[in-house]
Amino acid sequence: MTGTRWSVVAEQESRELWIGGRGPVLVFGFSLLLSAMTYLAATNRAMNFLEQREAVNLTAQVGLAVGVLLTVVVSADAISGERERGTLEGLLLTPVSRRAIVVGKLAAACTMWLACLVVTLPYLWVLGRGVAGAGQAALLTLVVGTLVAIGLGGIGLLFSAWTNSNKTSLAAGLLLLLVLFAPTQLPALPKTGVGEVITRVNPIGSALHYISQILVSRRAWTQDLSYLVAPAVVTLVVTGVVILAGPRLVRLTAGLR
Amino acid sequence: MATIEAIGLSKRYGARDALDGLTFSAEPGEVIGLLGPNGAGKTTTIRLLTTILEPTSGTFAVAGQPGDQPHRIRQRIGVLPESAGYPGRQTGGEYLRYAARLFGQSRRDARSSADRLLGDVGLGDRERTRISAYSRGMKQRLGIARALINDPTVVFLDEPTLGLDPAGQLEVLATIGEIAGQRGATVVLSTHTLTEVEQICHRVLILDHGRLRAAGSIDEIVAGAGSLSAAFLNLTEGAGT
Repeated sequence: MTGTRWSVVAEQESRELWIGGRGPVLVFGFSLLLSAMTYLAATNRAMNFLEQREAVNLTAQVGLAVGVLLTVVVSADAISGERERGTLEGLLLTPVSRRAIVVGKLAAACTMWLACLVVTLPYLWVLGRGVAGAGQAALLTLVVGTLVAIGLGGIGLLFSAWTNSNKTSLAAGLLLLLVLFAPTQLPALPKTGVGEVITRVNPIGSALHYISQILVSRRAWTQDLSYLVAPAVVTLVVTGVVILAGPRLVRLTAGLR
Repeated sequence: MATIEAIGLSKRYGARDALDGLTFSAEPGEVIGLLGPNGAGKTTTIRLLTTILEPTSGTFAVAGQPGDQPHRIRQRIGVLPESAGYPGRQTGGEYLRYAARLFGQSRRDARSSADRLLGDVGLGDRERTRISAYSRGMKQRLGIARALINDPTVVFLDEPTLGLDPAGQLEVLATIGEIAGQRGATVVLSTHTLTEVEQICHRVLILDHGRLRAAGSIDEIVAGAGSLSAAFLNLTEGAGT
């Protein structure tokens, strides 16, 4: 039974997020954003300003970026928020291992990413009709986005474990995302030598570039796999830290032993 | 066989001793009163014995499990923390069922335990009410129910009557008496209220500035001082000033 208690934590955390929690509100806001974007992309496409595959690529990238952002928002509150609300001690007083607690909380935070992906699918379908790109875009976003969401969601969780205030952990998580996301808005970045390095070491930048290489440049999935090294390494390292260092990080008060 | 055995238990934060060399033991069915002014080390003692904190030095065993096996200790204890927070959006029933599941109970057993304990603490008709709508007394009783969800051998209650009206205090004290009397569990009760200690505690530990000032039955503590409050003030003279 001990081995499955992480799922009890994940189930309860997911329930709190989605039933009466902030999950539905965040996803509704995300769907409004996607609706506005899809409308603009569709009208631009009608005027031949935006090629259909580029519209699909844009939507997939926004879905990934916002989905990861919301995953970090949820995970950054997971432990520090419980400290602030005074509910962490009750959880620590159960026989559930600290490791199971962090794994359960990370799994619950990742449901936010999956919800954002589900919301993105109809928009991809609308924009990708006729070019057979919607199904590919959906699968690509699922694979790459899940990799990035676990890695960066895990970093949000670590921030949350290291701080006593959820405002601090949330601010740290958002700052990290800003630093990682800003370079992706420089259009010529991957075409320069330094820009190529910056793109490759940035888990978000390289993931978005990989997606656009497949959706817009029509390259094979295996052709630019090296762009997934950064997200894969971040995810592996963060997951390892969460699992191995979790027992030392999940404490009543951050920093004290 | 002792259900709690602490030997030289200490906790140090930097240069400050939160607890300094506490040694005591407790037997099944005993209610141990943990008394002391603010900052005496009562909550630290409870957090050490419940494995929330790690001691700087000393050894302990709770419910027959050594202190270096925290998950085994947590399986056998129930705790009402000092300032327990409650998830306001959950109902009382959901809160207890989740706690039961964390202790390894199946869904069916968790439901059964939750229903039974809510009835035991007088909240049977509030099972579907959100905790945010509970009064302070109801939350305390819910917290006690949660502390009993795993049928513990040792129960730690940190200021369980804090902020309750006299009727609420009486209800909680009666529940504590039942835990020790009917379930045979050891109860460690941390409190500021000396009358509570006189009513239900078999033995008392008086702490001040992290040190054990006195330990024994109430008669032994009171002997020579006239009353428990006089003995308490003599032992903790100058505290809080």
